[in-house]
Amino acid sequence: MIIEVRRAIASLVILMVFSPALLAENADAQQDGAPIDVMGKVTNHDYFELPWGKVYLPRILYSGGEMYFYSSTERALESGEFIAEEGAGLVRYDGEPITMDLSITSHLIYVWFSLIVTFIITFLAGRKYKRGIGRDIEPKGALLNMFEALFVFIRDQIAKEFIQEDKYEKFVPYLYTIFLAITLMNLFGLLPWAAAATANLTVTATLAFITFLVTQVSGSKDHWRHVFAFPGVPKWALIILTPVEILGLFTKPFALAIRLFANMLSGKIMIVCILGLIFVFTELFGAAIGVASGIFWVLLTVALYFLKALVALIQAYVFTLLSGVFIGMAVEEHHHEHEETSVAHAPDVATQHN
Amino acid sequence: MLYFLNGGLLAFDTGFGFWVFITTLIFLYAMNKWLVPPIMNALKEREERIRDSMESAEKALAKAEEISRDNEKALKEAEVAAQRVRKEALEDAELLRAERVEKAKKEAEKLLEDARLKIEQEKKSALNELRNQVAELAVESAAIIIKSELDKEKSQHLVDSFIKDLSKKN
Repeated sequence: MIIEVRRAIASLVILMVFSPALLAENADAQQDGAPIDVMGKVTNHDYFELPWGKVYLPRILYSGGEMYFYSSTERALESGEFIAEEGAGLVRYDGEPITMDLSITSHLIYVWFSLIVTFIITFLAGRKYKRGIGRDIEPKGALLNMFEALFVFIRDQIAKEFIQEDKYEKFVPYLYTIFLAITLMNLFGLLPWAAAATANLTVTATLAFITFLVTQVSGSKDHWRHVFAFPGVPKWALIILTPVEILGLFTKPFALAIRLFANMLSGKIMIVCILGLIFVFTELFGAAIGVASGIFWVLLTVALYFLKALVALIQAYVFTLLSGVFIGMAVEEHHHEHEETSVAHAPDVATQHN
Repeated sequence: MLYFLNGGLLAFDTGFGFWVFITTLIFLYAMNKWLVPPIMNALKEREERIRDSMESAEKALAKAEEISRDNEKALKEAEVAAQRVRKEALEDAELLRAERVEKAKKEAEKLLEDARLKIEQEKKSALNELRNQVAELAVESAAIIIKSELDKEKSQHLVDSFIKDLSKKN
């Protein structure tokens, strides 16, 4: 078993060394000079890339008060209603810019795909629980046990841990869903042809915005009092404290968005760059040295891949954990019995928040 | 070449964000409403049942232990009581036996005494009777004699005095 796995990994490594090397030899044939489009690997596209080719996705454009639907960018250009402009993307034939680009993009496909897989996993597990497996008897099968380990982990280690005892149940579905969806989005980034949707700031910002909404909507009276009238400090100090607290409301989701985005983006860029060194070496020292050094670069990439798989899980966990912490802080209800002496309680409050 | 990038890596793409936001919200709503609650409830139900059954098992165990402790205690007590009863019974029996023996002895003695008394009485009455009969016989014989020879009255008197002397002598 172990020998077979080792053999499989070895052949995979060899394949990975040779295919970029072969590509590198053809690099000169390409016109635009850059053999690999590094940024193109991580940015959003109007096509969905599969191992055997590209599938162009429909464009939905809103420009000058009108909606336009095309099955692909090419069709949009063919229709003559839109023209490609250097640096600005598509513009309408009369020069009107696109107000809102509602096109289906590659990253959106991955977001949807992750959500669908999350849905399927939850649906299948839920059906088993409804049938009584796991409810009346012990959970059966490796998959259901894995699912339960995950679910119970989110419930007990995140929701129950950071959110008040009587309120945590309401947030378990949210935390579970974002954890699974983000994990899947991150893991899709491990496929060589695919991309991690979470390596797109728009996606992470939207997810963080949803956490922000959940946090503020479920915020308790104490949460708002801590923002606008921090208990136990002199009135004049509120002039400084309140703006800081209000800023704090927004920095939390901002940090969430940036952390996930940067982590996922950097992994992909690093892998593409390290593999790109094969091309650089080929160009500088010739094909032989390019291929020979490729062994080293590919091994490094393999190591990075393992790291990336780990980071994919860790970042999804961190996002969920911090969401849970923020929600927990917002819904928490302190019981200040004596407003006057709450200065004495201030250190307690501070430690609770940490 | 890229007809897409309105802005760089750090730009927020409104249309794309709109799609992500709407679909995620709808998805979260569905998860919150229909998909996750049955799982939560099933897990909760199971955990509660396990907790309940464990608690009741513990209770039953404690109860059983208590019962067995009680039983042991009762057994010991019963043993002690049985020993005491046996001892008491033995003592009682001993006492009773002694009493009985004593009583029997007394009764036997009494019977013996009674018998002796009765014998004495019988003896006395028999003697008296004998004496009377002897007197009668003597009188009769004397009468016959006196009728034939002597004055009857004088003879009678003589005999009576003789008998009185006889009883005095006795």
